[in-house]
Amino acid sequence: MMAAVQKDEDYANDRMPRVEIVESHWSDEQKVEFLRRRRARNFLLLAALGGFCLIIYVIAMVKLHEYGQMW
Amino acid sequence: MSNQAADLLHDGVSAPHLGAEPKDWLALLKPRVVSLVVFTGAIGLVIAPGHINPLLAAIAIFCIALGAGAAGAINMWYDRDIDAIMRRTTTRPIPAGKIEASAALGYGIVLSVISVVLLAMATNLCAAAVLAFSIFYYAVIYTIWLKRRTPQNIVIGGGAGAFPAVIGWAAVTGHVALLPMLLFLIVFFWTPPHFWSLSLYASTDYEKAGVPMLPVVKGARHTRWNVFIYTLLLFPLALSPWFLGLAGRIYGATAFVLGAAFLYFAWAVLRDKQDAKGVSLSKDAPARAAFKFSILYLFLLFAAIAVDRLV
Repeated sequence: MMAAVQKDEDYANDRMPRVEIVESHWSDEQKVEFLRRRRARNFLLLAALGGFCLIIYVIAMVKLHEYGQMW
Repeated sequence: MSNQAADLLHDGVSAPHLGAEPKDWLALLKPRVVSLVVFTGAIGLVIAPGHINPLLAAIAIFCIALGAGAAGAINMWYDRDIDAIMRRTTTRPIPAGKIEASAALGYGIVLSVISVVLLAMATNLCAAAVLAFSIFYYAVIYTIWLKRRTPQNIVIGGGAGAFPAVIGWAAVTGHVALLPMLLFLIVFFWTPPHFWSLSLYASTDYEKAGVPMLPVVKGARHTRWNVFIYTLLLFPLALSPWFLGLAGRIYGATAFVLGAAFLYFAWAVLRDKQDAKGVSLSKDAPARAAFKFSILYLFLLFAAIAVDRLV
């Protein structure tokens, strides 16, 4: 019972735009699972983009420090 | 996947509606294949003469891994029809319905471009060009063009796995020399006995999917001969860096012992007890042993050349 209430709260507190992204016939558990997966994917994308920026930064710093130029 | 998630999927809702999990996107990159690529690429970096900043070296290895993974994603996109048929591959993200095919293709292309551009920025254009060609080689020449057309597919496909050492070398030196080319040839000639040993006892999937693997098209007896012949060719090839003076005694001794052991395993595959049709009467025990040893062989051989260079 507690778990179900927690899932309802998770779903209600989701801060993504309220567009019709879930099927109306889905159960609450399915909606929560959908949101969990989407959140995980978004964090992965965020980490990937952050990592990409970090790599560009590291390359630039190392090359500028060692060779004085990028290319 | 958690039990709860699995229950949800079987509750009348198909996987694509719930969306893929991050691990499914990572699975598209074929992590196990990438681990070998990282190893050989790192060896290429280590044995190359010259200096590279450790951070740039780490980024170069990451780019090699990313490029290999991207090629794997494109491979999974193209092979989605046969992956759905073969038992070993039905759980891959596309045939399992977790990721749409077009999304996987876009993912593979984007990561390919990113890996090549990043490698060019971090090291040099030569390394980036070889990486770009290796992705093209695996995704187009092997996967799309030849895999389903010839029983020699795995010989040609071996080239794709042979590039990382060359890329690693080029990342440090800015050019390609004889030693990395020999390492390329070693992996190239190692791949057929490695993979055909596996396919001797796991070819029914390929037969079902209509992929012309050698045991399917030419039979087990012919495949055993090919395993032995390629292992025989590999023996002097693996020794060549030593007798050409490009590697020292540690490598030479290791290559000799490993080569002799690999020949012993390949000979056992050839002499396996078989019926009139060439079907193994020992449940392909020698082929299983040869497959396992082939992995150890490549690992120790490449480790030996790195140790030889460092001491």
